[in-house]
Amino acid sequence: MSQTKTLIDKQAVSINKKRRSQWLEVWRRLKKNKASMVGLFIISLLVFAAIFADFIAPEGFDDQDLYRRFIPPGSNHFLGTDHLGRDIFSRIIYGSRISLQVGFIAVGIAAVTGGTLGAIAGYYGGKLDNTIMRLMDILLAIPSILLAISIVAALGPGLVNVMIAVGIASIPSYARIVRASVLTIKDQEFIEAAKAIGANDFRIITKHILPNAMAPIIVQATLGVANAILSAAGLSFIGLGIQPPNPEWGAMLSAGRHYIRDYWHIATFPGLAIMLTIFSLNLFGDGLRDALDPRLKD
Amino acid sequence: MHKYILRRLLMLMPVMLGVSFIVFTMMHITPGDPARIMLGESAPLEEVEKFREELGLNDPFLIQYGRFVKNLVIHQDMGRSYTSKRPVIEEILIRFPTTLKLATLGIVVAVLLGIPAGIISATRQYSIFDNTSMVAALLGVSMPNFWQGLMLILLFSVKLGWLPSSGFSSWKEMILPALTLGTSSAAIITRMTRSSMLEVIRQDYIRTARAKGQVESVVVNRHALKNALIPIVTVIGLQFGYLLGGAVLTESIFSISGVGRLMVESISARNFPVVQGGVLFIALTFSIVNLLVDILYAFLDPRIKSQYK
Amino acid sequence: MLKSKKIIILTIFLLIFSLVAVGCSNQTADAPTDSKPLIVAQRSDAVVLDPHANNDQASSRVMRQIYENLVNQNEKMELLPGLAESWEQLDELTYKFKLKQGVKFHNGEELTASDVAFTIKRALDSSHVAHIVEAINPNGIEVVDPYTIRIATTEPFAPLLAHLAHTATGILNEKAVTEAGDDYSQTPVGTGPYKLLNWVVGETVELVKFEEYHDEAKMPKIEKIIFKAISEDGNRTIELETGGIDIAYDIIGPDVDRITNAPDLNMVRDMNLSTTYVGFNVGKEPFDDIRVRQAINYVADMDLIVDAVYLGTGEPSKGPLGPNVWASNRNLQPYGHDVEKAKELMKEAGLENGFKTTIWTNQNQQRIDIAEILQNQLKQINIDAEVSVMEWGAYLTGTAAGEHDMFILGWVTVTGDPDYGLYPLFHSSTHGDGGNRTFYTNEQVNELLDLARVNADPAVREASYKEVQEIVRDEAPWIFTWTGEELTGIRNNVKGFQNHPAGHHKLWTVYFE
Repeated sequence: MSQTKTLIDKQAVSINKKRRSQWLEVWRRLKKNKASMVGLFIISLLVFAAIFADFIAPEGFDDQDLYRRFIPPGSNHFLGTDHLGRDIFSRIIYGSRISLQVGFIAVGIAAVTGGTLGAIAGYYGGKLDNTIMRLMDILLAIPSILLAISIVAALGPGLVNVMIAVGIASIPSYARIVRASVLTIKDQEFIEAAKAIGANDFRIITKHILPNAMAPIIVQATLGVANAILSAAGLSFIGLGIQPPNPEWGAMLSAGRHYIRDYWHIATFPGLAIMLTIFSLNLFGDGLRDALDPRLKD
Repeated sequence: MHKYILRRLLMLMPVMLGVSFIVFTMMHITPGDPARIMLGESAPLEEVEKFREELGLNDPFLIQYGRFVKNLVIHQDMGRSYTSKRPVIEEILIRFPTTLKLATLGIVVAVLLGIPAGIISATRQYSIFDNTSMVAALLGVSMPNFWQGLMLILLFSVKLGWLPSSGFSSWKEMILPALTLGTSSAAIITRMTRSSMLEVIRQDYIRTARAKGQVESVVVNRHALKNALIPIVTVIGLQFGYLLGGAVLTESIFSISGVGRLMVESISARNFPVVQGGVLFIALTFSIVNLLVDILYAFLDPRIKSQYK
Repeated sequence: MLKSKKIIILTIFLLIFSLVAVGCSNQTADAPTDSKPLIVAQRSDAVVLDPHANNDQASSRVMRQIYENLVNQNEKMELLPGLAESWEQLDELTYKFKLKQGVKFHNGEELTASDVAFTIKRALDSSHVAHIVEAINPNGIEVVDPYTIRIATTEPFAPLLAHLAHTATGILNEKAVTEAGDDYSQTPVGTGPYKLLNWVVGETVELVKFEEYHDEAKMPKIEKIIFKAISEDGNRTIELETGGIDIAYDIIGPDVDRITNAPDLNMVRDMNLSTTYVGFNVGKEPFDDIRVRQAINYVADMDLIVDAVYLGTGEPSKGPLGPNVWASNRNLQPYGHDVEKAKELMKEAGLENGFKTTIWTNQNQQRIDIAEILQNQLKQINIDAEVSVMEWGAYLTGTAAGEHDMFILGWVTVTGDPDYGLYPLFHSSTHGDGGNRTFYTNEQVNELLDLARVNADPAVREASYKEVQEIVRDEAPWIFTWTGEELTGIRNNVKGFQNHPAGHHKLWTVYFE
């Protein structure tokens, strides 16, 4: 028995090695894709800005001065000041913290919950599968923006609640992807082997199945971050988002929209920031998908 | 095939029941008293109490839900709106044509922009046109549509004065909202068309067709496009379903009275019957559109059709 | 061959969809009219056109044109005869009203005293507007003859006439209401100069001139009025500029100058009956300490805040009542901006190191801005405030339950009588959901408010209300913030338009030049 176990473990190790080299291959392909490298570069810049906001931003995000409102973009204030006299550039820099947090954590919530549900459904099948997937159908049938709005209404606005709302609304897509991957993998030999030596289900799912279903999840997650940021901005725009004075881009845009005709810069730059972020995430996500699915590229 | 459709339709019932239960529960755990919101902050307490009683809000949660399901199943009645006192179904049907029009026009814009751009990009892969249209498509998906709407109003209504900024009854009023709504779908369709075309173009029969010396446009239009259509149609269908329920922000920017905005307003007014009925209606529409897409899929690809038997 | 069949099916499929879409389109066919309709834009569509079924501004603005009251209240909030030609007070409880004769409802019925009795009884039964008429004794309504009616209150109630001028007491026709049943709110029948022609829910309400209107002098000059709902604030101005509409209600601050300066547009500006305030939950520490409330009043630079947020519209509040409300006390001493004094008071209260608190507001951009600025200014006396923007429903529930610390809210003294603008806000019997969300309690204020409510002598009432305002100013359950303004933009060929402080402007006086 123990002999078989070592054998299986060895096999697992070799699979792991193989997997590692697979990821290296993906990275090699990804590097060749200029567009996705541009995307990755911008994302890195944003992450950098978010981490070092305190050093990069010339001012704090809530340094009001009611005597210098509506200053147009120029030498003193790179992107101008808003309706409460705050430096817009600084707010956008700090805002990257919020947007990236919302994006990644919401996707984290969705991927972990959805992934777990999908894995359970796919692995066990039968009634459990049916129940979980019907539940997912229910969530999917409610438009995600309405679902998010009603969750935020129920929980109250705020950073954490927005993450939860946006996260829950995108659970079903992860559940579906993971379930589909699990279904294709679970009958393969090395899973049978692991079962034969009595590895428990949890170990099989986490150690053997999930790592092999990683590729589609990662692609979905990259694009999901973009969607989560957009949804959060949309929630803020209708006044159900992050609490002021936090500089959430959607909220900045919403607050500036009354002044848009006289002071275009207040609503324009946060919009551009959102667009640039989503754009780079999409560039990177596209490249990643191509790299993971070599059929498409020569 | 018929059996398949019937099964899918039957499966809708528990899903719809689930949707209604989730919405009902969610509305009831949301803080805020419908009676108080409806009567406003200046109404005295006794009036609010009386109104709560009238609306049946003082009954336990499960009784209220049971009553809702009973009325729906037995009397096909979703109740009346707390505010306007109109039957919920009327409240929705009044606005649905607008939403349907908006979604249809959005999809038309998306298809008109997306499919040609996708085809040209695919046939001239890596050309300047390809790169530009791909970047444009990506920018299209990346733009928050509430922001895009504002910018379009600023340009076409304020600066140029060509198009109105609100409403949805004349064709002039429909242009900006349709454009706003269509852009992100156009971007998605462009990308799908391109990748699906690329895949098809590599197939043997395309090579054969080319080898036979057929004109390139014939190859592209007659052979490649037809076979690339399946995933494109799927995406169009999904986008359409999505636009039917997801036009909330576009509707509010352009002051359009559609189902999406009705939902948002009703959620914040805790107009339970309308939220309940509206979400159910949207969910049903979405599911039916999905079913139609699947059926269409079967028509386009006989291999799939055989699976449904 | 097979493939082209699929294409055909696909085309048919798409065609069906677009046909369905087009087929469903509601044909708002523009019937040719002799004169140009007046198009008026407001933020939302009317909800109901039954005065007893809702009490929202959008509906009231439309109903003002359809229904009439026993008593009218003009733009200066003075009471004038309406459907009642005259009235007299018989004793401290009872009024006798003499109705105008020959008044026709839109359905051809003639107005009689029994319609008035029916209307008031129905209002008393309504869960939406009963509070407007709650003083009236249901058994004290007596039809003397077809054109005379007596109305008695349970207890003396001084502001009765003002309440009878409220849109909620517009006179209905008994027959029309009974016939329409549940659908009455969509088929209104009044005696007003305009009647309902067509209603595209969520979008437009079309009214047409009532040819048999009883008052020749007030006969409408414009054939047709269209109320259009434009929810996005800035878009009302854009539509006004481009000529899509003739009158735009509720212009936002940033657009006021634009309209004022435009050669083809005019701004019509008048102070209204609304007030915005920052309240303290005085039932909770540390706001139960009067010194803390005063300190915050001193540290808040309200003139600056109001200027920054409202951009010169309305005015900084000088008290709980706006200048249009009768007996508004215009001599209250403002706190002014005095940080040193604030620090002193905080020290006296033993809180020189400040405390943590929250400022609640609903999703109203101006109120959010006020909260943000206030948050910043409070740092000067070491108060660490967190801004919490809440959804309207949750906000009302939370403030009614006393879960809040500081909050920003508004009030409209729609009757123009101080009873409406003070009693629910400061009387201790109305704590929480009744309107007094600061949970303020002062025995003297209670007594004065009770006295002024039942006393028939205007001088006594005025003195009591002025004193209440003094006390409220000194004890500071509020930071007086902003008194609102009716901001209406009109095209300059529109003449005869006047703002009404209550917001429901009369449109039968309007004409095109």
